[in-house]
Amino acid sequence: MKSVVISKMACVTALGEGPQNLWQGLLDGRSAIAPLQHFSTENYVSSLAAGIKDLDPPRDGSRLDPLLEKLAVQLGAIPSGTRLLLASTKGEIDRFEASRRKGEPLPESVLFETLIQKIARRFGLSDDGMNINAACASSTIALARGAALIASGQAESVLVYAADILSEFVFSGFSALQALSPVACKPFDQHRQGLNLGEAGVVLLLTNEEMAQRQQQPALARIVGWGAANDAHHVTAPARDGCGLILACQAALQKAEIDSGEIAAINAHGTGTLYNDAMELTAFNQLFAESLPPLHGIKGSLGHCLGAAGALEVVVAAQALQEQRIPGTVGCEDPEETARGQVSTACQQIAGDYLLCTNSGFGGINAALILQGVKS
Amino acid sequence: MKAWIKGIGWITPAGCGQGQQTRVQPLQPGVLQIPTRKQIFSTIDRRFGRLDDLSRIGLAAVTFCLRDAGLEDWQQKRPWGIVAASRYGCLQTDLEDLETLIPQQGKLASPNLFAYTLPNCFLGEAALRFGLSGNSMIINRQDPDYLTALKTGLEELAWSAQTAVLAGIVDLAPAAELARPDDLPGSLFLLLEKGSRPESGGYGELELRGEDLFFNTERVVNLSQLVANCLKSRVSPAF
Repeated sequence: MKSVVISKMACVTALGEGPQNLWQGLLDGRSAIAPLQHFSTENYVSSLAAGIKDLDPPRDGSRLDPLLEKLAVQLGAIPSGTRLLLASTKGEIDRFEASRRKGEPLPESVLFETLIQKIARRFGLSDDGMNINAACASSTIALARGAALIASGQAESVLVYAADILSEFVFSGFSALQALSPVACKPFDQHRQGLNLGEAGVVLLLTNEEMAQRQQQPALARIVGWGAANDAHHVTAPARDGCGLILACQAALQKAEIDSGEIAAINAHGTGTLYNDAMELTAFNQLFAESLPPLHGIKGSLGHCLGAAGALEVVVAAQALQEQRIPGTVGCEDPEETARGQVSTACQQIAGDYLLCTNSGFGGINAALILQGVKS
Repeated sequence: MKAWIKGIGWITPAGCGQGQQTRVQPLQPGVLQIPTRKQIFSTIDRRFGRLDDLSRIGLAAVTFCLRDAGLEDWQQKRPWGIVAASRYGCLQTDLEDLETLIPQQGKLASPNLFAYTLPNCFLGEAALRFGLSGNSMIINRQDPDYLTALKTGLEELAWSAQTAVLAGIVDLAPAAELARPDDLPGSLFLLLEKGSRPESGGYGELELRGEDLFFNTERVVNLSQLVANCLKSRVSPAF
């Protein structure tokens, strides 16, 4: 099995552009969750979200268009022959919504194949690409697939492009489900009331070691384990016993050929909903028994970025391993009993080579990645 | 990468069906009828009435596929995955959901419909009904030969501990402005089992070599041809 390296990363989030701004914002304990300006929230249970500033679409375009441009400029050149995986739940949902509100025909761009072509063109890729739609685990599964393509020798480099934007369509849906928090979300806090939505664009270039060396690109981290599993329990609610998440984590540990005791920290999904966070803590406490490592979540700062959430968390995890510390969990003032001592609003030092990232989503899906730090 | 095709099930403009009951290849253009609960399940299914049309056809095809393989019933969850390729995904449900949002600025937004504006939710419906605890995902891409899900399913089997994968296609008829002449509305799934077990019945061996698929060593051109060849060469169980 070939080693899988994260060679390059770029991101645009509500905390700014680039992994360094993201990392510093998280270390500073900042939250970008604020009253929404995109549309009226008068009829919804929350008015808050973490939106990206200055993402103005061109005429008859999508907010994904300037996002793509920013990400492409940030990432720079990529090797020819790179495979493309997109991870997005709703793609150009803003164009979909706008065209229907105006009574116009749907544009081709609402189809994922059109979006993939646009991304491929911008990065100069000839691969037809593929969008992976697995709800909030979309980019985690895309990264797992990218890693598997490289590990099996089927690809030398894979570009994983993850993006979802805020829209009234999605906001109203989560509001109708009573899943939105009326106040800034509080992942893993005993008084959490739900999630806040966010938006983000993230790109990660995965390569094998040889390609990374040829490109003279220092490895930022390695992806050494991955797994995915379905709860087979409910479409919109997680299995309370965390059975699917446990299976996904066990598969990732097996792939990485490490014991759970070697995990230095966890970047959890941590949406701030009652059931998700409780499910995660149940799963982690079963997996790690008496030795639950420090864990954190970033959605108190950035909101839930849906299909982009997992990729965003991997960007943070790579930096966490480099600096051997995890940012605090913004909003978690009074942690759940089962996480007490392991989750904090303050940064935590960690010690070890491996970090576990997990995501779970509608449709009962769970996915896990294990990153290994790279000594500089 | 190899797997044994153990079952085939579908709902298309030709109707609902499963491989053991016909030799007529069912993938064809035309008008798709959304199945009723009675066409799929003989007993009352309280969730079925809440499903969107995409979930109904996807769930129907998965059910007929597992029934065809004799594997509909289960006691313990099974490490089987589902990979479904879709060009239009849940666009139709998105349109219906948006109609609940627009009239009163969100006051009447439907929580039930919204749950199905993620196309992978029907995979969750299938997973919970049939105890499928493997990976599950929808894939979207240009797929003129309709073989992407099968290739991805074979890779999933090769790269994980999953022992079987349901791989197929699912699409409702699209909005007229997006329709293409080669659209195949409906859903069809094949059950791919790791390892070759012809004695337990099924259709034959599917292999991925590079970018090409082979069925019983013959190169596969597209999904319709594969299904036609499967139906010609089905194997009855030896017991």
